[in-house]
Amino acid sequence: MQYKSQAVAKPYFIAAIGLFIGQIVFGLVMGLQYVVGDFLFPAIPFNIARMVHTNLLIVWLLFGFMGSAYYLIPEETENELYSPKLAIITFWIFLVAGALTVVGYLFVPYSTLAEWTGNNILATMGREFLEQPLITKVGIVIVALSFLFNICMTLLKGRKTSISLVLVLGLVGLAVFFLFSFYNPTNLVLDKYYWWWVVHLWVEGVWELILGAILAFVLIKVTGVDREVIEKWLYVIVTMTLITGILGTGHHYYWIGAPEYWQWWGSVFSALEPIPFFMMTIFAFNMVNRRRREHPNKAAVLWALGTGVLAFLGAGVWGFLHTLAPVNYYTHGTQMTASHGHLAFYGAYVCVVITMISYAMPILRGRAANSNKAQVVEMWSFWLMSVSIVFITLFLTAAGIVQVWLQRYSDAPMAFMAVQDKAAIFYWMREGAGVIFLIGLLTYVASFFIKGETKAAA
Amino acid sequence: MTAEAKNQHEGLPGDFAIWIFILAEMLAFGVLFVAYAFARAHDVALFNASQETLNRTSGAINTLVLITSSYFVARGVDAIKRDLSRDCAWWLGATWLLGAVFIAIKSAEFHEKFSAGITLSTNSFYMFYLALTFFHFMHVLMGMIILAVVIVKARRGGYGSRDHAGVETAASFWHMVDLLWIILFPLIYVIR
Amino acid sequence: MSTTFTKSMARNIFYGGSVFFFLLFIALTVDTTHALPKRDNSQNITPEVARGKKIWETNNCIGCHTLLGEGAYFAPELGNVYKRRGGDNGGAEFIKGWIKAQPTGIPGRRQMPNFHLTDQELDDVVAFLKYVSEINTEKWPPNIEG
Repeated sequence: MQYKSQAVAKPYFIAAIGLFIGQIVFGLVMGLQYVVGDFLFPAIPFNIARMVHTNLLIVWLLFGFMGSAYYLIPEETENELYSPKLAIITFWIFLVAGALTVVGYLFVPYSTLAEWTGNNILATMGREFLEQPLITKVGIVIVALSFLFNICMTLLKGRKTSISLVLVLGLVGLAVFFLFSFYNPTNLVLDKYYWWWVVHLWVEGVWELILGAILAFVLIKVTGVDREVIEKWLYVIVTMTLITGILGTGHHYYWIGAPEYWQWWGSVFSALEPIPFFMMTIFAFNMVNRRRREHPNKAAVLWALGTGVLAFLGAGVWGFLHTLAPVNYYTHGTQMTASHGHLAFYGAYVCVVITMISYAMPILRGRAANSNKAQVVEMWSFWLMSVSIVFITLFLTAAGIVQVWLQRYSDAPMAFMAVQDKAAIFYWMREGAGVIFLIGLLTYVASFFIKGETKAAA
Repeated sequence: MTAEAKNQHEGLPGDFAIWIFILAEMLAFGVLFVAYAFARAHDVALFNASQETLNRTSGAINTLVLITSSYFVARGVDAIKRDLSRDCAWWLGATWLLGAVFIAIKSAEFHEKFSAGITLSTNSFYMFYLALTFFHFMHVLMGMIILAVVIVKARRGGYGSRDHAGVETAASFWHMVDLLWIILFPLIYVIR
Repeated sequence: MSTTFTKSMARNIFYGGSVFFFLLFIALTVDTTHALPKRDNSQNITPEVARGKKIWETNNCIGCHTLLGEGAYFAPELGNVYKRRGGDNGGAEFIKGWIKAQPTGIPGRRQMPNFHLTDQELDDVVAFLKYVSEINTEKWPPNIEG
């Protein structure tokens, strides 16, 4: 690696992968509870398992983003990190706070946890994805601030490239919009309205800036294409992201009590949301085709291309499938949403974090790329995980169609649980695909331990 | 070959990026226009009745204002191609003033509607009327900001016959704003 | 095509476009805020409803159920459960009875924990669910099954 302080990224990446495994294990527990309802009841009820599953996802992606930033920023700004020590302290605080929160979820009844952690002072808990206790939320803000301080100070004293500016803008946006998680009015409509300012403006807004910047960085490194070309693409992509994504928030405002006109605004702008993802796919393939060097790390290139394709499929196509208001009227709150969520998160954010890990980790371990043998195993893990998540998505889509058909569209609508029984076969197949996903993930972890002949890092 | 020299050989005036941007804008407005058509087909009577309440005279005046301003901006580009920085700044200044006239007339219209208690939620017609014209209104303001920047630079002699991509970029944006209004006005004020 | 597509221009469009659309979003949010009181049933937010919402949150109900279509998809939609279970004629009694009877303990079926709510708390939850069922949701869900 070019700068010593880039090494702080390593613990972040390791923690990210570790928490990823935890996320998948809890995913499998939930998947089984869908068909064997009393599995692990009452030790781990579904709502607890789900909270752990989604919160671990968010936390490990944040670890991945932070690690990526710590690796990327010194190289882009061409100087050492402002304070590697602060980065390590932040790491441990975040990891311990995250672990304690999960332990709290698992071993303390949620309402007791709420009482212990100050929910009576400011009630913020018990909303989807924002279930964290107040003290954890405050902790996240502190971690984010110290992280941003470190990154911004590094940026200020160094070269300011477009990639680092877009990345920092995305990270600042991430921190700013998280503040809306502290706003929880009794008026449910307002509560939901601003809840989306965290959730939507994260995943369909500022996170895409982070995604674009990381992808652009890795593409410069592995293809050797001119920075000017890549950064221009980056700007055009993130422009399209924000001009479609900000008003695209409206696609969440159709049925929660907001005015009717959101059906028009949401439909029109979110229908355009696939465009930036499509451009990202074109971008990734175009740059790889125009490559000026053969980078020895083939696995990282595969992950980068995978990000483009799967983000477009999951976020773009599967999002579009149910984003238009007349369609969403029937699909809202069914397994359709779950299917889109799984492929979109995997394709866009899981893949981009692993792209970065795949590129950076060998360098952090003192070599340009892993041995051929290790790369082959890593590529196997890519295909195992990617194909199985596509199947999970297809099975959930099928379950969603069953739900829409029997429970929503039918002249004689059936009750929720009766419909769930009808969709059981798809839930079983989803669980099977989930097991293969876990095997893929373990294969990925195994690829880190495979030795073989390697070249030293440049 | 410098960027400017290359520009002389190519078809599109102004910066290529502004054209990408203009295409994206046209797409967004295009989708909104189609949405309007759908909504209107759904409830023709309501749309026709609500349309009656619009002030077609001020709409027509604004159309003339914008078309004239487009002519002025074109004269501005012509002037800078002949190295007449001062003239260019004057023509662009005139364009800017007409933009301000448009804003004034449109604001009066908005004021009238708002004081009548009309909001985005009144009915689908007003939703589209307010949304589309307000969206366009903000584009006019944006165009005026761009023009102001270009005027200041032109007055200091920052452009010339060999280097006027900035003027052309601003003019292209202004023409787009004008064009959108030329579609918007008949669509919302007139066609029934 | 012209190649005068410079990076600085792309950057300006990025900043300009983002600010532009964010302002538009703020403008729509202001309008929404003004329009909400006619739709959001906030005139019926009583202290019971407020307490009910807190009980809803501190037991993580959203981790299994959906509320107005948002949440987990493991258990039934509850935005309209008050109406589904009889509305003013028996809805309250049904919901309270249901919550008290959990878990069913039927082997292999999905289980809802017992949250040990007091009678007062059960009334609060019902008040909250009744308030939610009267929000104007543009006729969603399509039918009473949610």
